[in-house]
Amino acid sequence: MRASVPVGLFVSGILLYGLLIGPFTSYMRSKPIEEKLGYLPSVKLLKPLSADQKELTAASLVFKVMMYFGSLVGKAQQGTLIEQQPDLQGMSRLLHNAVHLDPYNMDAYYFAQGFLTWDARQFKVANDLLDYGMKYRTWDWQLPYFAGFNHAFFLKDFSKAATYYRQAGQLSGNSLHINLAGRYMQESGQTDLAVAYLTGMARTATNQAVRKSYQERLTAFKELQKIEQASVRFSQERGILPASIEQLLQTGYLKTMPVDPYGGRFYIEPTGKVTTTSKFAFAGVKK
Amino acid sequence: MLNIIQITLKGIFRDRVFQGIMALAILFLFIPSAASLSMRQVTELSITLSLSLISFILLLLSVFLGATSIWKDMERRYTFSVLSLPISRTSYLLGRFFGLALFLILTSALLGSVACLVIKVASGVYPSERPIIWGYLLLAIMFATLKYILLVAVAMLLSTVSTSFFLPIFGTICTFLASGITQQVYEYVNSPASAKAVSPLFKPVVTLVYYLLPNLAGFDLKVNAIYSIAPNLVGLGITSAYFVAYTSILLGASALLFNRREMK
Repeated sequence: MRASVPVGLFVSGILLYGLLIGPFTSYMRSKPIEEKLGYLPSVKLLKPLSADQKELTAASLVFKVMMYFGSLVGKAQQGTLIEQQPDLQGMSRLLHNAVHLDPYNMDAYYFAQGFLTWDARQFKVANDLLDYGMKYRTWDWQLPYFAGFNHAFFLKDFSKAATYYRQAGQLSGNSLHINLAGRYMQESGQTDLAVAYLTGMARTATNQAVRKSYQERLTAFKELQKIEQASVRFSQERGILPASIEQLLQTGYLKTMPVDPYGGRFYIEPTGKVTTTSKFAFAGVKK
Repeated sequence: MLNIIQITLKGIFRDRVFQGIMALAILFLFIPSAASLSMRQVTELSITLSLSLISFILLLLSVFLGATSIWKDMERRYTFSVLSLPISRTSYLLGRFFGLALFLILTSALLGSVACLVIKVASGVYPSERPIIWGYLLLAIMFATLKYILLVAVAMLLSTVSTSFFLPIFGTICTFLASGITQQVYEYVNSPASAKAVSPLFKPVVTLVYYLLPNLAGFDLKVNAIYSIAPNLVGLGITSAYFVAYTSILLGASALLFNRREMK
């Protein structure tokens, strides 16, 4: 009788666990994604709490954002993301905390550069973060390279961009960065600049989700490039700007209808500028 | 005293502490694959994880071994038989301390070599743009060891005045947490930004606490090892001297208190 009590306890525990573990796992998995990114104590509290493990804490914050982003990219491919705005502010907050804990953490800068500019369109926040990083990572050419691109492409501040590109060139010893800067430093070279930048970013990305997001963006810009080239040929040969993409298709300057991977629709502005309704981000599509 | 050191080491091995460390050290095997998740700094992340794991293991050892070694002796009434031998209480205490210190050094040497292998593997998979400077890595592990040896001395001081193990263990953990931020608090209180927010009475209190508590932030060379940033050699010299001075104070005070302690 006595011996049966612990056995009974053990066996019933095992049975109950076996019954519960399935529902528990599915409950945890189906938790809303915002909840997973979670709340975080302020960096003032986080710093003393992480004691001498600040670098580890910073790395784990970056991972948290990366996992969140990875699951978003996964959902985006199933086409469910468009209704769901990603928590860009939360991602930015976590990465800012990470670089406060470890100002040398390159993953944080690299990642923040990716989504703060294209998705969140917070160019100043991104550039401030890069400037902060440059104070510490004095040997790194990538930070000024990113800053140069942001200034040239998003802010159209070509003189500042050239300074950053020169700095990147000096640090990397690679004249390509300086050449690249010179070649596209004008409004008309924007798409080519973006294609060059995105090709490099997609090639060097090691993280699946990050590479996918760069490749998608690159595809979008290559489509844009095709339309622009067709539009230039059209206006050179006919002396007027094309009115629409459909006109380019009908007149044979474009072979196929270009597809925006972000679900948007390409169109030609009255000024002749080609752009898309998605603004090259999933969140940009207006319903 | 050498006997006590020997006994201490033997005791630690007999308690299977070493097997415990080895079990935790299995985590080293996962470091290369965990580090490969990094997007831009695989090697750096592998160094971060290795140093963090070493730090964590040394912290556990210094808190639990340092706080329980004397308490356990008294609880089991070993101290009576040991102290009836012709050795002074001071050399008993110092023997315990140096035994633990030696064990920490052995552990960090072993874990350090494992870490080097792990980092070598991780950096082979995805070479870093910054070359790894092994000397800095060695320095970081060395200073981490010094830091935790100092913490052992803190634990010993607390266990000479305490009758249970609560004060030594929690006191050491609190000291460890506080020691990492005293520098920040001190700098904040003495900065012009705080002039309005902090009452002037508070300033001398903070300064006193700052000088009283050990400042362990100086022993943290992780950033230097991870990102190959040259440490300040003069600063390291001062830090080593600080270690010697502070540990001597702690050991001296522990010995004084232990000599005066009544044992029933």
